[in-house]
Amino acid sequence: MISLPFALLVTATLGSILAGLSCSIAGVFVVRLNIASIGFCMSHAAFAGAAFGLLIEVDPLLTAMLFASVTALLLAPVANRAKLNTDVVIGIMFSLMIALAFVFLNLSPGEAASGAALRILWGSIFAVSEYDVLYLALLCAMMVSFVTLFYKEIFALMFNQKLAKAAGVNTYVFMLIVVFLTGLAVSFSLKLIGGLLVYALIINPTSTAYQFFWDFRKIMVFSPVIGVASCIAGFIFSLETDFPIGASIVIVSAILLAISIAISPKRRTAKIAAQAA
Amino acid sequence: MYTTRNDLMSGSKGPKAVVLLDKVSTVYEGERFPAIRDVSLCINAGDFVCVIGPNGSGKTTLLETVNGILRNTSGNVRVFGLDVTESGHSVRTRTGYVIQNFEIDPLSPFLCKNVVMSGRVGKIGLLRFPSERDWAIVDESMRLVGMDSSADRPIGKLSGGEFQKILLARAIAQEPEMFLLDEPFANLDLKSRADVDRLISDLNRKGATTVMVSHDIDSIPFSCSHIIVMNRGRVAAFGPRDELLQNGVISSLMKVRGSAV
Repeated sequence: MISLPFALLVTATLGSILAGLSCSIAGVFVVRLNIASIGFCMSHAAFAGAAFGLLIEVDPLLTAMLFASVTALLLAPVANRAKLNTDVVIGIMFSLMIALAFVFLNLSPGEAASGAALRILWGSIFAVSEYDVLYLALLCAMMVSFVTLFYKEIFALMFNQKLAKAAGVNTYVFMLIVVFLTGLAVSFSLKLIGGLLVYALIINPTSTAYQFFWDFRKIMVFSPVIGVASCIAGFIFSLETDFPIGASIVIVSAILLAISIAISPKRRTAKIAAQAA
Repeated sequence: MYTTRNDLMSGSKGPKAVVLLDKVSTVYEGERFPAIRDVSLCINAGDFVCVIGPNGSGKTTLLETVNGILRNTSGNVRVFGLDVTESGHSVRTRTGYVIQNFEIDPLSPFLCKNVVMSGRVGKIGLLRFPSERDWAIVDESMRLVGMDSSADRPIGKLSGGEFQKILLARAIAQEPEMFLLDEPFANLDLKSRADVDRLISDLNRKGATTVMVSHDIDSIPFSCSHIIVMNRGRVAAFGPRDELLQNGVISSLMKVRGSAV
């Protein structure tokens, strides 16, 4: 087992908990709104953005946020206007962003930049600073406040966007906020989890919660609980095995998802109903 | 045949006009031709109007242009005296919309009572939480459609007809001044259809202006006061129900008599 200095241990633990919280709250939006392609592209855009930041010697977090947010805001209207299938959008954007990231990394001077870029690619406990934890804490406070204060609007939006609009919800503004918060969650978790893996932390905890609950309120509560649990377990797993932390967290969350699908009471009920029919 | 604009606009711009469309066209994004074209009509407070026409004639587009979900490309849409382009939000909080039945994932995590409550979101307003009165209205709405025992059932487990009733309860819970109902009888069996017909008529008698879309002449409720016939995006006829049904206007327009048009 790796032994870490106490300060680093605290920073990394807090970072893991907050990354799990923010990503899995964003996951509830992403999974339900069926904007998985946007979340997927955002995580890779954030990676390309971080690589660009290293190239121009600007804080990679800022450029990651910029790339993720711009991609998110452009993607939906562009896909809609071009009438492209989401699979096609994923294919184009994923490859484009990875290509851009590799170009930026190739152009980045010195080995230090390459090392930093690799840490962004698969995440590292050592890459997380006190400032990153602070940003994540502020983001989590924003997300929890948003969900608490606007729960009924979020519920209406998640059920059906057209009906939400018909009932008087400003769906455009709420969608913008949801996409923006998702972009921030991806960007802030990038150093810890890694650009290639952060997307899994968005999808897996919510998908796990979906296997157990019929009530959206419970999904909204238990998705972050599962996300945080995955991150803590993944962090311990990483310390025990010396695996990268991002990979460890994703492996743990994927195992939880696989188990939940196998034992899901919702699926069991559905199977009995189907047999009866 | 009724000349829609002249018949309807003359003398009907009084204070009772709830919906007023003047030469309205709506074009979907990326499309070259309007889904509705040069539509002019007036619906007064308390009217019960049925919009009929074949598939693709612009019935749903008309409803969604009235409540501003779709932005009209030309012309003016005024509802409750408000310009929908500028005051769409206010119009929608006062309008209950029953959407055409849509598919829902059987594993969706939404309970019926919460779906019905989501109809009151605009009414309750931002930064406010549902009160006991709001929940009482939700319970009453579910009772009216005969779904009061399904409050805690997941929405994905409902049959098509039950789901349709929950969507109607959701619109009723909004306590709207006007209902826009898109195929409200879809998926309903005969008894449920008669129950919903009676309920819609009761709500209209209590003062709610009602605009109902249907593709079937047979499903026009007896309490319906006016009929709009849509064809290829235009209003082909608009007039009192009995007159249009009796003088064969509809069947001559739609080339089909007494069945689905």
